[in-house]
Amino acid sequence: MKIIVCVKQVPDPEGPQDRFEIDAEALWVEPRGIPPVLSLFDENALEAALRIKDAAGGEVEITVLSAGRRLSNAVLQKAMAVGADELVKVEDEAFDSASLDSHAAASVLAGAIRKIGDYDLVFAGRQAADWNAGQVGIGIAALLGIPVVTLVRKVEVEGRRAIVERVTERGYQVVSVPVPAVIVASNEVGEMRYPTMIQRREARKKPVSAWGAREIGMEAGPPRNRVVLRRLFPPATRKGACELIEGETPAEAGRNLARRLEEDGLL
Amino acid sequence: MELRGDVLVFLEAAEGGGVLPRSLEAVTAGQRLAAALGGRPVGLVVGDRVGDVAGEAAHYGLEEVLLVDHPALARYLPEVHLAAFLAACERLKPAVILMADTFTSLDLAPRLAFALDTGLVADCVGVEIEGGEPLFVKPVFSSNVMAAYGFHTSPGIVTLRARVEEPAARRDAEEAPVNRVEVDLGTVSSPAEILEDVVVEEEGPRLADAAIVVSGGRGMGGPEGFERLAAVAEVLGAALGASRPPCDLGWAPPRAQVGQTGEKVAPSLYIAVGISGATQHLAGMQGSNKIVAVNKDPKANIFRVADYGVVGTWEEVLPAFHEEIIERLKGGGVP
Repeated sequence: MKIIVCVKQVPDPEGPQDRFEIDAEALWVEPRGIPPVLSLFDENALEAALRIKDAAGGEVEITVLSAGRRLSNAVLQKAMAVGADELVKVEDEAFDSASLDSHAAASVLAGAIRKIGDYDLVFAGRQAADWNAGQVGIGIAALLGIPVVTLVRKVEVEGRRAIVERVTERGYQVVSVPVPAVIVASNEVGEMRYPTMIQRREARKKPVSAWGAREIGMEAGPPRNRVVLRRLFPPATRKGACELIEGETPAEAGRNLARRLEEDGLL
Repeated sequence: MELRGDVLVFLEAAEGGGVLPRSLEAVTAGQRLAAALGGRPVGLVVGDRVGDVAGEAAHYGLEEVLLVDHPALARYLPEVHLAAFLAACERLKPAVILMADTFTSLDLAPRLAFALDTGLVADCVGVEIEGGEPLFVKPVFSSNVMAAYGFHTSPGIVTLRARVEEPAARRDAEEAPVNRVEVDLGTVSSPAEILEDVVVEEEGPRLADAAIVVSGGRGMGGPEGFERLAAVAEVLGAALGASRPPCDLGWAPPRAQVGQTGEKVAPSLYIAVGISGATQHLAGMQGSNKIVAVNKDPKANIFRVADYGVVGTWEEVLPAFHEEIIERLKGGGVP
């Protein structure tokens, strides 16, 4: 079984708000001093793939695929250290996240997946922590012409089918889908495991393919965007008029809080 | 590109009958947008035996309601629903398609965008008209930045976050025509087979619908803290929420997660206990009417967005708060 996991590097979403510098003219966000990390849902996707590998023993190979402009090796090494077998990087100056909309990003990734050629499952996270578009996994499936299951919290493989648990409004569905297929992971998968020091060291020896736009047939640039970014601006910050409810003790403050909320008609 | 023409609003059925209130919020945006685009707001109802839903939808100021009614649409099957949507789009050729952010649209809207080879702006929190061009505002970079998008392609597809708009008001005296769209869905096959559909019974209201949400963070220290929090939520008739760490650590179920990577809520009262106030969490609850913060660190970021604050640990503050609300709301008795 060959699995491809698509991962994106994003500026750490926990970084302080005032460090996300907005260039309203150039329509660009500069994460000043905020380190890149793996996008959270992509970590969930990788974890779901690793569990298939755990269950199957040695017969599963995981390729981590990342596309972008000037990728950080340190971030991708983390994905390798937790248990992926191979890394494919696709880098081009035109592949920065602000320039590619979901269609263009899905085209780049689908192009790379076609070049990898041999795969049974493709994993992606449900949305990226930078542009938050939430479409690329479905887009890859549409472009490759294979089925896709979204909002996935668990995947097992039985022969040539993936048995998938999919989160629904009121619970979950168990869905059987033939491979090859795309799996779009949600946070319900759970947190990605931590690599050990030995795994981190070993990760550096794993095979890496570094491709450019030419290798995936996009030397003329990625396909045109369907949406157009017109403006960037800071969010309206909620008014910070916090009234501290006090008391002789914190418990008394708790009682006073209950009284106050009732008086203000909020309960 | 200049978008001109009709606005198609997807109307989901509510569980108890009628139209989902979140879809009626999309109707409000659709009416404003249609006026600006020189077109009509048109509803779309899709399902099995949903004629009465379409009939009800006809009373909310839409100029027409399209209905795709077919036994194959009894439950959500992506490929079948997509085919129904494509038939409706073929008939209307809308300039914009609006949907509420729901579990259905999370899956369906991107499929529709790629099938129509057009763009999608998901999780939209504002619809603006700027120089005749409709722009759709959404949070990016985990809500540290806002972005306004237009479309290069038509139709533009947009999913709208809950409570961004007021739901459209019912107009008893007006009734839009309901027109059926005939499409042969019997031949559409879905590669994915649903083996089981499991409904997990939840106690209390759901996060998205609750008037009060009581949430815990890392400061709850473990599952015991969440048991107390659940008891407080029960007294208040509130939904139980959590920031990301407790969900990752297994103290709270993943579906309780409020934030950029979880549910976005906007209740009338949000009580945050032991939550520091990371941007990622604030992104999911800043729209709440009133916010209460209980945290042992007086410098915690959560106090910057709160209306009421108590400095203390949950162990110190919550039991007394719990007793007091029981007395006030149930007229006596201690836990």
